[in-house]
Amino acid sequence: MNWTAKTRPGAAATAAGAAPAKPGPSVSSSTSANVRISNGLKEFLSLLSDTPQARVLDLGPVWQSTVSFFIEKAYRISTEDLLRAWKDFLTGEEESLRKAPVGAEAIKVSPSMLADKFLETALQYPEKSFHGALAWDLLDYFDPEVVPRLMERLSRLLHPGGALLALFHSRPVERFHRYRVVDSQTIEWLPSPTIAVHAHVFQNREILSLFGEFRSSKTFVGRDQVREALFLK
Amino acid sequence: MWRKSTEAQPSSPVSGTTTSIKPQDVPQASPSRTPSQSVPVSSPSASETAAAAVGRGTSRVASGLKIQGEFSGTSDLYIDGEVQGRIRLQNARVTVGPNGRVQADIEAREIFVEGSVQGSLKAGERAHFGASSRVVGSVLTPRIAIDDGARLRGKVETSPASPARESMAAKSETESETLQPVAASVKGE
Repeated sequence: MNWTAKTRPGAAATAAGAAPAKPGPSVSSSTSANVRISNGLKEFLSLLSDTPQARVLDLGPVWQSTVSFFIEKAYRISTEDLLRAWKDFLTGEEESLRKAPVGAEAIKVSPSMLADKFLETALQYPEKSFHGALAWDLLDYFDPEVVPRLMERLSRLLHPGGALLALFHSRPVERFHRYRVVDSQTIEWLPSPTIAVHAHVFQNREILSLFGEFRSSKTFVGRDQVREALFLK
Repeated sequence: MWRKSTEAQPSSPVSGTTTSIKPQDVPQASPSRTPSQSVPVSSPSASETAAAAVGRGTSRVASGLKIQGEFSGTSDLYIDGEVQGRIRLQNARVTVGPNGRVQADIEAREIFVEGSVQGSLKAGERAHFGASSRVVGSVLTPRIAIDDGARLRGKVETSPASPARESMAAKSETESETLQPVAASVKGE
């Protein structure tokens, strides 16, 4: 089922005091921030609404607006900037390789081995800890060999019936962005210093395969060709 | 006077002890200036919020000090050094300055962080994470402020405001859902 994501008229203007936004994802000149309607978020929240004090995992950086939004709903929110943690992890691995004594036997490290090592310290929560997870577009930035390992872990962290919202770009991304929640149907993405390069454009078939452990899905395609995918465990 | 109180300071690190610090026991990190002295003008920094929170009667763990143990009492506390252990200042404010590195559970009326904290944070009134803050652990507070650039890895949960401070302390003893902080260092930008 596809819906076309619409830009909320005037959303960016309200935030920045600029002129009303034109159709399509709007750009606020003063804050360089993009604000758009997110049917995926709206649906995600609708799924959580039946759960009092739902626990939500935000896999992006911590933002005041996102945290405030969820705690005002009396939800409990956990944040773990997974992409940042991955970058820090890789930096550490490179550093240890660099410090290895000359002549030491070279160890071949595959992406999946790195993923397993990374997951020894990342996403360390008890199983079924969360009713919802916001993955934003971070799966696009991981090596395709690593993503199934992440999905497996994320699936274990979700309650049965839990929801996961992820965004997928339909073409390589030129600029790195971070996301935050503005209100119950609006998200904002902000240009940020690049911490990872866009690694892969997932085809719809690949996405469905990735979320094989989930029982149902909805996809919302925006005019900007960003696909919002909502999966239920 | 400054030299004397500095000499009275125990050598660091202080290990395995319960440490209660009174304001008069701890020297200020930098000598105060008389009105006639010129004050160097510095550009606004991330530490301004934290610095503004430090008033008279605030105990300090200055940069360069490393302390292990438990803090308790009623005085506000400013940490710009390294602290490991536990901090229980339920009626006071705890500020972790930009150079502060804390591996401890903190329980205080207000918690301001500009440096690095690993542990469980419980604020009776509010918590504020500055742009340079790096926090790994759970946060329980009725109000929270997070500056852009802050890094938090853990759970944020709201609690009732101050009147329930005692019950909050009791809850902390029994709460089973608190996520264990991950034993990983948080690196800077």
